[in-house]
Amino acid sequence: MSKKRRENETESGPVTPHVPVDRFGFLKQEHGNSPERFSKARSTSSTDHDREERKVRKWRKMIGVGGSDWKHYARRKPNVVKRRIRKGIPDCLRGLVWQLISGSRDLLLMNPGVYEQLVIYETSASELDIIRDISRTFPSHVFFQKRHGPGQRSLYNVLKAYSVYDRDVGYVQGMGFIAGLLLLYMSEEDAFWLLVALLKGAVHAPMEGLYHARLPLVQQYLFQLESLVRELIPKLGEHFTQEMINPSMYASQWFITVFSYSFPFPLALRIWDVFLSEGVKIVFKVGLALLRYCQDELVRLPFEKLIHALKNFPEDAMNPDTLLPLAYSIKKSVNEIMMESKGGKKNSSSSSLFYEAPLGYSIEDVRPNGGIKKFKSSVYSNCAKRPS
Amino acid sequence: MGSSSGQPEFDYLFKVLLIGDSGVGKSSLLLSFTSNTFDDLSPTIGVDFKVKYLTIGEKKLKLAIWDTAGQERFRTLTSSYYRGAQGIIMVYDVTRRDTFTNLSDIWAKEIDLYSTNQDCIKMLVGNKVDKESERAVTKKEGIDFAREYGCLFLECSAKTRVNVEQCFEELVLKILETPSLTAEGSSGGKKNIFKQNPAQTSSASSSYCCGS
Ligand SMILES: Nc1nc2c(ncn2[C@@H]2O[C@H](COP(=O)(O)OP(=O)(O)OP(=O)(O)O)[C@@H](O)[C@H]2O)c(=O)[nH]1
Ligand SMILES: [Mg+2]
Repeated sequence: MSKKRRENETESGPVTPHVPVDRFGFLKQEHGNSPERFSKARSTSSTDHDREERKVRKWRKMIGVGGSDWKHYARRKPNVVKRRIRKGIPDCLRGLVWQLISGSRDLLLMNPGVYEQLVIYETSASELDIIRDISRTFPSHVFFQKRHGPGQRSLYNVLKAYSVYDRDVGYVQGMGFIAGLLLLYMSEEDAFWLLVALLKGAVHAPMEGLYHARLPLVQQYLFQLESLVRELIPKLGEHFTQEMINPSMYASQWFITVFSYSFPFPLALRIWDVFLSEGVKIVFKVGLALLRYCQDELVRLPFEKLIHALKNFPEDAMNPDTLLPLAYSIKKSVNEIMMESKGGKKNSSSSSLFYEAPLGYSIEDVRPNGGIKKFKSSVYSNCAKRPS
Repeated sequence: MGSSSGQPEFDYLFKVLLIGDSGVGKSSLLLSFTSNTFDDLSPTIGVDFKVKYLTIGEKKLKLAIWDTAGQERFRTLTSSYYRGAQGIIMVYDVTRRDTFTNLSDIWAKEIDLYSTNQDCIKMLVGNKVDKESERAVTKKEGIDFAREYGCLFLECSAKTRVNVEQCFEELVLKILETPSLTAEGSSGGKKNIFKQNPAQTSSASSSYCCGS
């Protein structure tokens, strides 16, 4: 029986036939990103299946055909949307919803042909650096595994295009994991614009400072994380001080790759759902939740074991259904700190959850003709030169 | 940690740092040394840390090894880890000439800037010698560089494990021959050298700031 099946599979497609992969496409025997332990629990019983189906139906209704109802719904019922996103976006709708909540859809529509231009005609000083890292990005995923296969080519194109689009950022290691994650859920062009939306701050604070020379935003976030640990998990904060553990030893990659570098894929996806809708606060919250969840263990460890533990959290801590509720429950201080870092610019209304202050405008206010051009040029002009 | 037994688990503790361009094989070298394996590794983001125990002669040694990200942009995160290192391994890829020329243009300067140990032992390592047909830097050039900069020198392959242990052992032997370094690294003084808090060092932290 297995022989016959194997033949069929070999003929049928480009996917490496003999290697078992999990439901996200990662090779099963690999550690690290393999989410098998979580998918096992999923869709086993028929009630789970029913629940998932009901959820998808609700979501479909909420976003409308091709996302047509989304903005309306999000404006009318921001809290419903927020709550549903926190429970996890259905995997089959994830790509579309990510584009809607990040504002990247609008960027794409406003800039027809731009991506193609960047990919085909422009050259980048980072090309060799990017090529060198392509095979080192999600090497255990079938999509990216094949040398010069479609996955690797898309990844290269997106990163190259971005490095041309924004020469101040260029290419920084870690961006590949973000682009790779996006490419598992959308086309190259969509992934590119989502990257733009994030780095240029279409909806939330711009991320580009994570990648600029001297990594100013990484430094800032690490500094803020350290004070948050001291404030919210004082016992652990004290232990870190004693053992001379510094957040740059474990948390740089949390921020630089938004947990896409070394965390189990199902957890990374759930974090990304919330990250795109609520912004970088969730990175702090998840980080703090992890530390808090493990603190009894961590406070007992000496320096070297501590460092290891901070890069290898136990399985139960990485279960999204355990960790995320814990992260959501951390509220006050993170919000305060993030407010401070915006220079005290408090956003007046809480209902503008999704479209607050993108580069000074709000996307939904932008109407055809004049308005769109304005937004478009303001985003695009960042690529040539950014006053800083 | 064995401290409960009253007897220290090692005679010396040394801090070793791996530096060099991205992709030259620093992490592979470390993995090959600490766990005898060779895997396709992702780029290092920031820093990594591993411990390895060695016995040389009668001496029990503990190496605390920091593996740094090679990409230029990450140097703000890695520069503070030079502090207090007794040994620094500069790695280049014998098949990529630019990784060799960057040693004098960049990495040697980084050491001068950030290393706090006058007597710190430097070692030059040319990796990936298994790709002999693609070699772009001769062994002679490596030797000349090492002589000029006063470092030890070896060529190795993280993949075939040729000379991997020797890299670390030669470095450690040389450290052991240097009284000022062994004094710091002896188990009596271990606390100080093991726990170097990079954030509290000079320049890297100056950009910490909340305002925008
Ligand atoms: N043939 C061969 N390939 C090697 C050897 N050492 C490393 N590589 C490969 O070179 C690539 C880079 O290796 P890494 O160890 O990740 O390089 P690195 O210096 O740590 O790079 P960064 O973390 O980005 O600074 C990987 O694809 C390795 O498989 C070697 O001795 N021989
Ligand atoms: Mg590395």
